[in-house]
Amino acid sequence: MDGHQRNLYLYEALNARVLGVSMDDVTTSTYFAKSLWLTFPLLSNTLPWMGTAYGAFSNKPPFLTDGTPQWFGRRTVIVDKKGIVRYIRNDTPKFEEILTFLLKLEEEFKGR
Amino acid sequence: MKRRTISRWGMGAFLLAVAGLFVGGCATTGEKPKPALVATDKGTAIYEDKYEFKAPLGWKLLRDYSGGDFEFGFLKFEKGDFPSQSTFIYDPEPFGSDRDLETRAKQYCSRFLWNSGVLAEVKKQNRVQLWGHAAIVIQLEGENPNRNEKAKSLVYLVKKGNQIISFALTQWRPMNGTFASEPFEHFETFVQSFKFLKKTFYEEFEEKVKKLKG
Repeated sequence: MDGHQRNLYLYEALNARVLGVSMDDVTTSTYFAKSLWLTFPLLSNTLPWMGTAYGAFSNKPPFLTDGTPQWFGRRTVIVDKKGIVRYIRNDTPKFEEILTFLLKLEEEFKGR
Repeated sequence: MKRRTISRWGMGAFLLAVAGLFVGGCATTGEKPKPALVATDKGTAIYEDKYEFKAPLGWKLLRDYSGGDFEFGFLKFEKGDFPSQSTFIYDPEPFGSDRDLETRAKQYCSRFLWNSGVLAEVKKQNRVQLWGHAAIVIQLEGENPNRNEKAKSLVYLVKKGNQIISFALTQWRPMNGTFASEPFEHFETFVQSFKFLKKTFYEEFEEKVKKLKG
């Protein structure tokens, strides 16, 4: 998360916006954002329809090691201006890969 | 070392809304991997063709293959009871996000040694110049009586362009152990001699963005 916050000025330069989504409630998310000095929006999706829509939510085995049966997988998704998903990566975000991908998108957009 | 934030947010989905189209493509090569660390005839070492520095003799090389908490560093197991050892690392993306040195130092120290259960206290903090760049050097100490261990650390946060990079040494001892000065001397030599042999990813990336923006 702090990696996205570090790169915020580059995302903005590339006309990209970042949102964080989790199943945490608003109070927890607010505390979390403060603890990491985050300034971009965090969405509280407790139901979690959004995680399901983007394939990040699972309620099937394998469950988390603590036995949690429903969880949000860590997933980075890039959506273009038309709402089309262009990039998906699970686990730890690869920031250099994300930035390089956003640059390519912006170059393509400028070249249209 | 800094510790990665653990929370349910670690399992969040991310969306980046952008304008543009996808262009894919990548290339692979069949080259054999080079040794990560190569000695030079100047008494220095070169790490992955990217950095040159005076390396500590007899220390083990540490590498982070997962792209996590640091890029590389060195480790030495020392005489004495567990956990008598010293580790120092180079981290191009230290914890925190602010590009102001003072604020970043505050952010960084709030999580330093966080997962180890050691409450690290800042003993000294000074503004310095490192290779012509503004930097902050921080001395920290802390202990965890429950695990019978204590730690002493020295951290450099360096402003390099729009990025803040870091070097950190942590020396671990049992509670009744004595800290040694030699690892700190090796660390200082490493930091003071450290040179970038090529532009960083962020330096190159910012140039590309600037060019794109005209």
